[in-house]
Amino acid sequence: MDSIVVSNIRQRPLRSAISVLGVALGVVLVMLFTGLTRGMSNDLQRRNSNVRAEIIFTRPGSIELTSASTNLSTKYLDLLKSIEGVEAVSPVILDFFPGGAVGVEQVEGVEWDSFAKMNNIKLIEGHPPLAFDEIVIDEVKASRKHPVGSNVKIFGDKPYRVVGIYAPESGARAKFSLEAMQNILQTPGKCTYILVKCKNSSEQVAVAKRIDEKLPGNKVQFTRDVFTSIETSIPSLGIFLRVLVGVASVLSALVVMLAMYTTITERTREIGILKAMGASRRYIISEIETEALLISVMGLIVGFTFAAGAGFFIHKATGLIFEFGGWWAVTAGAIGLVGGAVGAFYPAVRAANLDPVHALAYE
Amino acid sequence: MGTILKAENLEKVYRVGKVDVPALRGVSLDVEEGEFLSVMGPSGCGKSTMLHLLGGLLTPTRGRIVIAGEDLTAASDAKRTDIRRRKIGFVFQRFNLFPTLTAEGNLRLAERIHANGDDDPGHRREILRLLRLEDKMHHKPLELSGGEQQRVALARAVVTRPAIVLADEPTGNLDTENSAIVLKMFQELNRRFNQTIIMITHNPEAAEASRRVIQMRDGHIVEPAATAPTT
Repeated sequence: MDSIVVSNIRQRPLRSAISVLGVALGVVLVMLFTGLTRGMSNDLQRRNSNVRAEIIFTRPGSIELTSASTNLSTKYLDLLKSIEGVEAVSPVILDFFPGGAVGVEQVEGVEWDSFAKMNNIKLIEGHPPLAFDEIVIDEVKASRKHPVGSNVKIFGDKPYRVVGIYAPESGARAKFSLEAMQNILQTPGKCTYILVKCKNSSEQVAVAKRIDEKLPGNKVQFTRDVFTSIETSIPSLGIFLRVLVGVASVLSALVVMLAMYTTITERTREIGILKAMGASRRYIISEIETEALLISVMGLIVGFTFAAGAGFFIHKATGLIFEFGGWWAVTAGAIGLVGGAVGAFYPAVRAANLDPVHALAYE
Repeated sequence: MGTILKAENLEKVYRVGKVDVPALRGVSLDVEEGEFLSVMGPSGCGKSTMLHLLGGLLTPTRGRIVIAGEDLTAASDAKRTDIRRRKIGFVFQRFNLFPTLTAEGNLRLAERIHANGDDDPGHRREILRLLRLEDKMHHKPLELSGGEQQRVALARAVVTRPAIVLADEPTGNLDTENSAIVLKMFQELNRRFNQTIIMITHNPEAAEASRRVIQMRDGHIVEPAATAPTT
């Protein structure tokens, strides 16, 4: 295509490439950060949605985002079982340790039989954890080169042997026996919370009320409220993402503006020739905007491709989960295109207003 | 054939700092349709200023210009651009081709800017044949000689059938042989298509190719010479 727009881009390959990369960077920023947030959030929700119990019984302040206390007596198990409407109960110790892709990982101690039955999870390989140094892991963690018989480091460098793999994922990806966790944390007879499964899910509010009346001074919550998304747990995350989107927009616009401004300066005489040929202001602006948009489109293609590839390789290397959302892709695309168009507008108007005689004489 | 261009008492004063510099001091000129006119004069006499005024690239301080019935001086900038697009073709000393486009691309660009909707490949081919450019159309300007580049520039100027071609020292960057070729092309266009041409030159030999020569000095027309013999 013998087009002045395409030929200008080809004529200045290095500058065009830098402009494309500038736009691509904005796209990559938006896609990777939002993809990571969505991935982590959805992963957490997926695991939490496989916790079938409707109610969590615990002590006040026991569970925070990255910490938990083991201060609830397991004597409450029988008391809870006796309450009308309760089908089953299962104690859980929740703990955190440094590690994983985000710097902190969860681990749980459970009574395997009651926990597995309540949440409908099954061992697809191996057996439940029995000894104090045995764990079971979910199939997602197992897929990262942790087969049955391998060792996983938890609580620093201490290795624990994988004796079983379960599915579907539910709560923490690694689970000890309850006794093993009590032993590790030196909290015999204690747990963090007790999961309560109702006979009839629609009566969970009434059951929760009965528990609260019979066992006052404790915290009775619904699992749907406790196991929320990351965005709900960290409200400022949404603000951070919006700021990020704003920064990406400005970045794309600035890069394109700088590139177009330099291009216009170099092509002053060409603009003078266009004006002498009778090109209107609108024509000149549209040519420059078209060039900017073409660069933006190329930037989008490079950006999306790089983001997808980077997400794939980062996931392979670190286990971080990326989920790219359609809406964010549209946002990133709009940022690239609008940023490019806006960035080119001032140079385009400046070019259109050049004095043709001076432009023709420009060296 | 009637008057295709009428300039009345054109004055142009440039403001340089606090000083007013008059470039044109009252120039009047009538050009007939199909005329090939040369404007000669020393550097600084106002030739280029007058050409830029006639092409609508500048506005006069005083005076009036009417081209093919349209008043250029009373028009807004957008309207002047429109008149220039439809009625004027420019040929420059430095060719001013787009280096990133082929010769054909330069012509197509002119047609696209003109955008009159009637793409006339037959007319384009005739122009190319006349200017001996048929086998040069896929070359970029850097691959062409000076004479060939100027012929492409000339083709670009006339492909949209302007009322007037304004040529600013078209042979200024050419050797004698190529100058002769280009001037011959001007004559052919004038003869075959009745193309009105106003050419600025300081070269008397180039001026001889035209039918009428006028002399300028210090912003005035001083010598509207008799019609020069055609060659």
